[in-house]
Amino acid sequence: MTPESPIERLQEIGIAAAMRDSLWLYPFVEILHILGFVVLVGSVVMFDLRLLGVSSRIPVRMLAGHLLPWSLGSLIVVVPAGLLLFLTDAAAIISNPAFTLKILLLFVVVGNALAFHLGPFRTAVTWDVHKPAPRAARFHATLSILLWISIIACGRSIAYV
Amino acid sequence: MKKILLFAIATLAFATTAYAHHGWSNYDSSDTLSVSGTIVEVAFSYPHTTIRLQAADKTWLAVLAPPARMSARGMPSDDLKVGDTATVEGYAHRSDPLEMRAERITVAGKTVELR
Repeated sequence: MTPESPIERLQEIGIAAAMRDSLWLYPFVEILHILGFVVLVGSVVMFDLRLLGVSSRIPVRMLAGHLLPWSLGSLIVVVPAGLLLFLTDAAAIISNPAFTLKILLLFVVVGNALAFHLGPFRTAVTWDVHKPAPRAARFHATLSILLWISIIACGRSIAYV
Repeated sequence: MKKILLFAIATLAFATTAYAHHGWSNYDSSDTLSVSGTIVEVAFSYPHTTIRLQAADKTWLAVLAPPARMSARGMPSDDLKVGDTATVEGYAHRSDPLEMRAERITVAGKTVELR
């Protein structure tokens, strides 16, 4: 890599340098990233489990209204914190296979969520409570849980590959 | 279909973990090196502090601890200067002959454990 590659220029911006040089900023942002994705993945997986039949006495649409704003809202913390952690060591992380796989899986998990909301969730009024969710909904829920586990495994693995 | 998919993703997750384990062992811990030399470059920065150490045979890149731990263990950035003499003990990288992971460092008679 040449010294003036775009990615190396990117990691020279002020905030990335501050992340490297400050004694407390990097761990602070790491903690924010973790707190954020605890809320994100926690709320998503709780909803996925409901789709798989856990606590079917709770109406699906009511639970969606309770949990999914937390999932979306957490992104306000998760994404900027993750971006900062990336920028700190961008030139190295960009070619890290665990990072590549994580970003790929993030696209898949977003596509999976969109497919669920534009697909089976539209008929949720007919299986709202005490009824099994359609096969397609359970498929998206299973995929979601497995993808998020893989994404967390990939994220943690960036430090070790 | 669902079973196949489940299996595929579980495999992926475990493969990632296995690969990570492989990555962790990129440093050869069966052979502890001790390298003494002159510090020619210091990056007291996250995610890990690194120094370049000019030894007799070559210039090593030694990966130390994150800055907060360096400070907590008694070696803040002021104690790590270009031109200082240092001794690092640690493990060589298996594929990069110039890189090592330091387990401890000694500067000016003070030894700091890094792990």
